[in-house]
Order: sequence, then structure tokens, then C-alpha cells
Amino acid sequence: MTAAPGGAIIEPVSKNLVELIRRHHAEEAPTALEVLKEAMDARGVITDDDRRVAAERSGLPEAAVYGVSTFYDDLLQPRGRRHIRVCTGTACFAATGDAHVDALRDGLGLELGERSEDGATSLAETVCLGFCHASPAVRDGDTIDAGPGVVERILADAARSAHEPPPRSVLGEPVLTVPGGWRGLARARAELTPEALLEAVEAANVRGRGGAGFPAGTKWRFTANAPGEERFVVANGDEGDPGSYIDKVLMEGNPALLLEGMALAGHAIGARHGFVLTRSEYPLSKPALEAAAAAARAEGWLGDTFDVTVVEGAGSYVVGEETALLACLQGLRGTVSARPPFPAERGVHGQPTVVNNVETLCNIPFVAERGADAYRALSPGATPGSKLVCFNERFARPGVYEVRFGTTMRELCEDVAGGLVDGRAIKALQIGGPLGGILPADKLDTPFDFDELAAEGCMVGHGGIVAFDDTTDMRALAKHLLHFGAAESCGKCFPCRIGLRRAHELFADGAPVPRESLEALLETLELGSLCAHGSGMPAPIRSLLAHWPEELGLG
Amino acid sequence: MIELTIDGVATSVEPGTTVLDAARAAGAAIPTLCFDGRQDPFGACRVCLVGVEGAPGPVPSCTTPCRDGMVVDTRDPTARRVAGAVVELVLSELPGPPAPHTELAAVARDLGVGEPRWPGAVHQPLHDDRHPYLSFHHELCISCGRCVRACDEVQGAFALTATGRGFEANVVAGLDAGFRESTCVSCGACADTCPTDAITEISLLEVLP
Repeated sequence: MTAAPGGAIIEPVSKNLVELIRRHHAEEAPTALEVLKEAMDARGVITDDDRRVAAERSGLPEAAVYGVSTFYDDLLQPRGRRHIRVCTGTACFAATGDAHVDALRDGLGLELGERSEDGATSLAETVCLGFCHASPAVRDGDTIDAGPGVVERILADAARSAHEPPPRSVLGEPVLTVPGGWRGLARARAELTPEALLEAVEAANVRGRGGAGFPAGTKWRFTANAPGEERFVVANGDEGDPGSYIDKVLMEGNPALLLEGMALAGHAIGARHGFVLTRSEYPLSKPALEAAAAAARAEGWLGDTFDVTVVEGAGSYVVGEETALLACLQGLRGTVSARPPFPAERGVHGQPTVVNNVETLCNIPFVAERGADAYRALSPGATPGSKLVCFNERFARPGVYEVRFGTTMRELCEDVAGGLVDGRAIKALQIGGPLGGILPADKLDTPFDFDELAAEGCMVGHGGIVAFDDTTDMRALAKHLLHFGAAESCGKCFPCRIGLRRAHELFADGAPVPRESLEALLETLELGSLCAHGSGMPAPIRSLLAHWPEELGLG
Repeated sequence: MIELTIDGVATSVEPGTTVLDAARAAGAAIPTLCFDGRQDPFGACRVCLVGVEGAPGPVPSCTTPCRDGMVVDTRDPTARRVAGAVVELVLSELPGPPAPHTELAAVARDLGVGEPRWPGAVHQPLHDDRHPYLSFHHELCISCGRCVRACDEVQGAFALTATGRGFEANVVAGLDAGFRESTCVSCGACADTCPTDAITEISLLEVLP
């Protein structure tokens, strides 16, 4: 991260809109996105009257509200009285090759994004529901069903909630898989000055768990030092990576730990308020966090010193990028802004803001309670701390596991997750989300850590591990990934907006893909894109080109 | 003051100056599409890419602040190649070649962009001629955001917005019922800044009897 010398000169989003939002926030007005979501929940479609009401209540101009209403999946897909969302994430693809999508489409007689004429039923695509341990997954209203027979149950209107396995730890002393107990915050408030806590987080070298691996302490230091009237802490719970359900398990199963991590960040940087942005694809996250926050207020952990507001997104992968996340949090279109300025200088309401991934913040209570040395000892000889990984349904024992950095992919896949089901062999792994490269089975001895995976064109990313078995068609996988990439492009920067569409078109039908022009397109995306979505989507395609060129139908 | 080198020439600029502004002040010609000096830099088109010594790849000059000791190459071959490919992508989404007098056509000539290597879907003609003085041909919109920012930052009318996402991104006025039904004050700032003729002013000569 680099700060602009002499103060930032570039506005992250329209400063006029941000000022409008700040003034209305002071009056506790809802954001435009919140009002539009309410309208959608109530009537299943957004009308111009809804947009006018949203403009009136939020204070945003009507045109800006229109822009918001045409950005998010949840506002674009018409809903019938029964709204069925089929997961098209990578784990569901690995399980069925998208056969579950076709079966639902045929069975319901509806296309994706279509509502029946009588308004009874609607079908939409969603990525991803976080039930990758039991793929394929389908959401019927707020019931998420998954696993064998799911399509038949949905077609019989007999959906049932799928079981979610509890997270397990291979560490002698679990950090992230035991309930938060507020001991770190108690110690910090009693014994640690903000500077002492900041130094501990820096010394612990807590690297960001959301994908980029940026040191949390450095981010906090920038924010603490940035001039501003007030500061904010934002927990990025927009775990959009298909195949990853780690933050879901943390937010829904251990919400107090996240709130404690946020309060500690607030202590260190001098913030009195925090926000969590959760995903609408995880309907249980916001209620779980709000219940935990209410309990924490009753016990005196949250309140006047530091409090937290939970905001739910509306269906957009790129909102996981921090500048897009801040735009979404303020109820705007979830598009990416150029950095600098970084959120550390100009974030929520234009004020210095720490944006950390959920799992990153969940690591902080241990550092505050036990100190940097104890934290570094958790993963000897590797990136410090504890890490959650999760496995898809192809594995014998799928679920979320707490592991050490530096464990080899083979140990993770074979010893922890028990190898694949049905006697199938691993053909390849995609680690860390759709922007991660694809690791062939002959590289399974690669350690799970930042540098070692990067050397293979892969990444730690979010820690989701999706296995593709030996029946997987790699050209179909390329098409699947590029469909996702093009559909989720926010549309701001030109290389991603047009380039991912073109890349998907190259694979869309059976025509031979000219290798030279594909590689030139990948280079344009990698070097030209504004954010990691456009620059990262080529990584898995590069892996497929390197390891399975004969399967891609190159011409 | 910040000392840096641009195309081999030492120069000094005020803190906070962007590489684009510094390079243009030093006489270098850097093509841009989403940049308008009257507006905050936006960083969307990625056509203003330059080489910076030690950087892992080309950097967008419009959103990059100058730093002490920076060595900038505005003719960096990789930066020019990627910028040209981006303009090639832009041409591929339009239903036809851009009008020769437009900024887009000039930038394409400057970067030597030829026939697009990646043909595919193009934007379908959609004309809104309901306003007496402003005409909007949506298929020519390249989502550079200049009109939206002109309306917001320069005029303060907030009549325009970006819509959709990905390849379907575009711009509309108000609630997409045309300029007249929006808060548009007919100032023409959007048409003035448009680099593709997506929004144009209808000449009074064409309107008057």
C-alpha cells in the first residue's frame, strides 16, 4: 500500500454522492439499496415508484437509485411467490457438470431469471450458497437444500434444510473453531494501549485471509495515522468465492469472535463504529451477527466505546473488492474505484477505514490475549497463525477445517479430507476461489502457503479447496469459469467489461480456440484491469493452457 | 516538490500531481478515453497506461500520483500494446467504426489499432431522440462515465447514471425515461465531453424551420 504524497487527490466515488449519503446517515435514513431490497422482498419486482420512494428516503438522486437498481442480482431477478435459486458455483459444477441446473430448468419449465406468467414460481441463478460440502445446492425461499435428490425434492415442493457439518481443528489448541470469549478484548481494554495492540498485530504478521494476504497491522497503522474526523472498521463478509464457505461458518457459527476482532481493531485505530457486510446468499449471517451483537451489548462488550452495524449485500461478486464493498455499504452501485486513495485514507463517508476480511479479524482476539509469539508459533516455519480451509463435496470428509500454514496439499486432501468419494482420483484442485490457478494432481506435494502456491500459479486466496475428479472436462471448466467472470464483471474498467465477455465467447460454442489471440486477451486482462477480478480471472485459464492444452480444443 | 524522470527528461511537480498531468505538462502525448481534465480521474478505460521502472506491469497514469525518483516511460512497448488491445476491445463492442472526428477514432489511430482480433456480441442500436436538443445513441456508449461525472461534478444536476453491469453496462438519464423526464437542465455538458458521439447536441439549424 502506498499513500499519495501530500494527500490524496483522487476521489474514490463521487464526493457529492458520498456527502449526500453522509448527511442522510446522520439522520439515520436508510440507504437506497436497503429500500430497494425491502421493495423486492415485498413485491418481487422493482417499479419506478419503488425507485422514487428509495430516492426520497435515502436522499440519493433518482438517476443514482436507478443505477443501483440495475446492478445487483437480487434486484434484477424477478421473484414469484416461490423463488428458487440454483447454485452455479464451482463446487456444484464439480459435482454435476451443471446437470442440476438443466434438470431444474426443464422440470420447472423456466429459464434462469424467469418468473412464470401467473407469478407463482421463479428460477434464478446464484453463486454461491456456501453448501459446497453437499453440492449441488438449491435455495427455495430461505430454505437451502443440497445433496443427492435435491432436484427431485425441489420439483416435488418438498425442500428441506441441508445439514452443515461443524468445523473441525487439527491444531492442538484451536483458535478459530472455539467460541469467542471476549478474553482478548478484556485484556486489551485492561492492559494494552492502542499502540501496544497495534504493535502486537504487526509483530504477529497477521496476513489478510481474504485473498491478497496484505499484513493487517500495516493496514491498521496507515488508518491510525490518516487524518480524519472519525475512523471506521469494516469486516468484509462478502465471501463470494465459489467453493468457499469459511467466513459463512465464522459469521454464523462464531459471530462473537468476529465482533471481538472488530472491537479490537477499533481499540487499536481509534474507531467507535464498525460495519459488517454480509452476503444475501447466506441468509443466516446477518441475524446471527445481530443476535451476537445484542448479547454483547447486554454484557457490556459493545456499546458506547465501540458498536457494530450489520449490512446485507444484494448479490454481486465484485463487492468483495474493498472499494466496491464500501460503495455497496453506502448503498451505491458496487463498482470498483482506483486506489489510491486507499480505504485507510478515505473509506466509509470519506473517512479513514480499516477493511479486513472476516477470518482476518477472527485471528485478532488470540493475538490480543496471548501475544504475537504465541500466534507465530501456531504455524511453525510458515505464515503465522491458524488458517481455515474448506473442501467440496467430491472429498470423503468435506467441511471446514482449521489447519497450519505449510501443510502440503496432499496432507490436506488425503489425511484431513480423506481423499475423494466413489474411488475417484483427483484430476486437479482450484484453491482460493475463481481467481486462483488450478493445481494438477502431480503437484499435490506443494505446501499450502502464499509463496509456495504462487510459484505454481496458484494462491491461498480464501482457502476454499475444490477438487475436480478424473471425469471433469477441462474445456467445460474453462467455459464455466469464464461465464462466472463475465457475469460478475462490475463493468467499470474496459478490459474486464469487454475482455471477459470475449474470453467467454471464445469457449462458448465448440469452435476451436485460437491460442495466440486467447493469450493476447489474457495479457490484456492481466495487465490492464482495474481490480483483481479482471487481472485474476486469467490465472485458472493459464493453468488449463499449461497443463491440459489438448483438452481445451485449441486451434 | 517531487523530482521524477519522464521519457528521459528530469522534471519536478507539486505533490499530488498525477503521472498523466506531469507527462502532458512535459510534452508527452498520452492517449486517454475516460479522462476529462475538468473532472476527477476515474481510472476506467486503462488507455493511459505507461511504464514505470520497477513496477510489475504498466500503470494507469491518470490515477497514479507522482513519487520521488519515479522513472516513467510513456512509450513503454508493453503499456502501448495493452492500451491498443483495450481500444481494440472497445471497437469490437460497437456496431460500426467510430466517426472519424471523435476522440475514440483519434485514440485508435494514435495506437495503431486495426481490425479487432476478438469479434463477438455488439451493442444493438437504441436511439433516444425525445429531447429537443440532446440525442442519445446508446449503442455508441462505451461506459467511460464522463457524461455521468460531468452531470454530477460540473453541473450538479445528477440527471445521469451508469446502469447494468459487465458487458451490459450503459448510461441512462433519470429513471430511463429520457432526458426530459429527468432532472436534466439541458446544459449540454454530457454531449460536450462524450468521446464517441453517443450523446450529441442537436443543432438548432436542424430543428428550426
